[in-house]
Amino acid sequence: MDDRIRLAILGCGAITRSAHLPAVLAHPGVRVVALVDSDLQRARALAMTHRLECKSICDHRELLSEVDAVINALPNHLHAPVNLEFLRKGIHVLCEKPVALTIAEARACCEAADERKLVFAVGMNRRFEPSSLILRSVLDESLLGDLQGYDWEYGAPYDWETASGFYFARAQAGGGVLLDYGVHLLDRLLAWFGPVTLFDYQDDNRGGGIEANAILGLRHSGPFGDIAGRIRLSRTCTLQNGLLVRGKQGCAEISVEDESAVTLYRQIAGQEVSMVVRLARNTGPSGSFLRQLDNFVQAIKGAQKLVADGWQAVAVIELVQHCYEQARRLPEPWSEIPETTAR
Amino acid sequence: MGWQDKTIFVTGATGFIGGRVCERLVQEKASRVRALVHTVQRAPRIARLPIELCVGDLLDRNSLRRAFADSQIVVHCASGIGRGIVRSTRNLLQAAQAAGVERFVHISTAAVYGLTPPPGSEIEQAPLRRTGEEYCDNKIRAERVVARFLRRGVPAVILRPSIVYGPYSAWSTRLIEALRHDLVALIDGGSGACNTTYVDNLVDAILLALENRHSVGETFFITDGERVTWGDFIRAHADMIVPNRKLAEISKREVLARYHKQPGVWRSSLREARTLLFSRELRLLILKIPLCKQLLAPVWRELESMPPERRRWVRELLRNGSTAPQVSGETFLPDPVDFATQTGTVFFDIGKARRTLGYEPRVCFSQGMKLVEHWLHFANYLSDTSPISDSSLGD
Repeated sequence: MDDRIRLAILGCGAITRSAHLPAVLAHPGVRVVALVDSDLQRARALAMTHRLECKSICDHRELLSEVDAVINALPNHLHAPVNLEFLRKGIHVLCEKPVALTIAEARACCEAADERKLVFAVGMNRRFEPSSLILRSVLDESLLGDLQGYDWEYGAPYDWETASGFYFARAQAGGGVLLDYGVHLLDRLLAWFGPVTLFDYQDDNRGGGIEANAILGLRHSGPFGDIAGRIRLSRTCTLQNGLLVRGKQGCAEISVEDESAVTLYRQIAGQEVSMVVRLARNTGPSGSFLRQLDNFVQAIKGAQKLVADGWQAVAVIELVQHCYEQARRLPEPWSEIPETTAR
Repeated sequence: MGWQDKTIFVTGATGFIGGRVCERLVQEKASRVRALVHTVQRAPRIARLPIELCVGDLLDRNSLRRAFADSQIVVHCASGIGRGIVRSTRNLLQAAQAAGVERFVHISTAAVYGLTPPPGSEIEQAPLRRTGEEYCDNKIRAERVVARFLRRGVPAVILRPSIVYGPYSAWSTRLIEALRHDLVALIDGGSGACNTTYVDNLVDAILLALENRHSVGETFFITDGERVTWGDFIRAHADMIVPNRKLAEISKREVLARYHKQPGVWRSSLREARTLLFSRELRLLILKIPLCKQLLAPVWRELESMPPERRRWVRELLRNGSTAPQVSGETFLPDPVDFATQTGTVFFDIGKARRTLGYEPRVCFSQGMKLVEHWLHFANYLSDTSPISDSSLGD
């Protein structure tokens, strides 16, 4: 008897093509029963490319009685309503970030999952990167001494291949770089350093659009006491692309270019040294999307606790929403209407 | 009703000039801006604004017609490549004519006189002549198409800016990168005429062309109206990296002599082949072949396991082909396009724009460069100061 989990993927855009479907195909515990996309041709083409014997459909409601779990990779504004439809039918959901565009929607999804004892996982694949696991251990083992703060920059000219283009419409995307890239950072920061007690947010949204650049100052109160940090995000500029956590006895750095390691900077006998720390043995599936899927599957079977669950996402969405509500205008002196300076 | 109350259709809106046009239109209270977007991925800058992003292609008349819809005014900033420059302008003019637009501002270029404009081309009436430079010749053809539609009743204005610079400009980002790698030399002390045009001065001229009824049917040079040389322009950028740094110099005569010694076709073919070989497009195509993917996987893994600094160096090497001057010990040799661009002697006369449009450049070169420097810091090209420290929480 085939006891694999019957899974459907909703949305056949870039993230499904490049990450979710390859992970699903590599996982022995799941079976794809359907690909869903409003563009039927896109769903069919994807199924054909991978020689999948599954349904290709454009209405997810046809599936409600045929699947055990779904991966929701639809445009952002459809995440919450579709999550709710499946959760209310007793189907487990792994939803791409952000799980919802409002706090109320996100809470409703979590409550629906809790009522029915379902697994509601959030697509926070970066949590499964070795660098995130190593940094967590570095912090837990107090290898940096008392923590002093952190800086995290993440940005490059936007090049995500978006099939529907929803990323640039406020009503569909819900926000810009903070909601898109930023949640990956905030998710981990809240998990590592605890809840945010104070924030200061600036972005370059110019009246009804979505921000391309954002700067966020945060203060946390958590397991390491009070710690302040800064995040800078960009869809137009290539930034330093890394996290630096500073402690009294050293620093730890994660580079976006190498998520398999953490670099530690310490003083040894008066000499500053750096050490690249990697997992000596990388057990379990390879690739963050596959590890994320595996955690989802194991959680459905009751064998593991979810690493990134819906309630954690609620905290992130709360913070993002507060940032948007209290946004200050990012200074751009080059962008103002110029004064006359010519003779 | 002024242009602020009309629907304004902007092409090239994801580019440097078109992006700034959209920003300024919003700042100047334009009520409805429709931005033609070819590739939506390139839209983050203008997606910040309360404007409509209309996906379409100037070379595809159907998509263009859909995007154009009921637009009343056109600002045509898109350039295009090769003959595409002419075809896209023609398609747009056809759409504009069919819609009966009230103004069509065509952003041409002073390069219609070639990369090295000959003496006598200071004024707009100077006769155009083809130089064999593909871009320049196609911009001439595009201007002629505009003139044809003008005769058919499209109220068109042609603006010919020269070296348009400002935040987001590739002139500045490329120059900063080149200066960092010592890939710059002042030709004859940098005495060539640069004809800088700060992007906001150009946008001022565009806005004047929209509202000034005497502008229709006319062609205008638009520059900062200052006698800025290439030496000034390059030194202003070099000073942002290291103030008063001494720059390499090379004479026109030496450049020409070294060009003469070069096996022209071979060298350029090799260079182009190298560019193609290391291009992302080719890599992606090759990786579609399963055997190649299998063979290249270990190379990729090796690259990915290098320390970040080393990896960046390898990437840089693949991207540029070289991180050092072409021949050690010899002064950097500018490429023929830069050489032609930087050795002109003509400063374009903006008298006609002043008289007819009421154009007066309001940002002078030194102020323009200050704004560029602000932006380069922000965009991490000059990385010593990070705006991240502006956040008020502190440590």
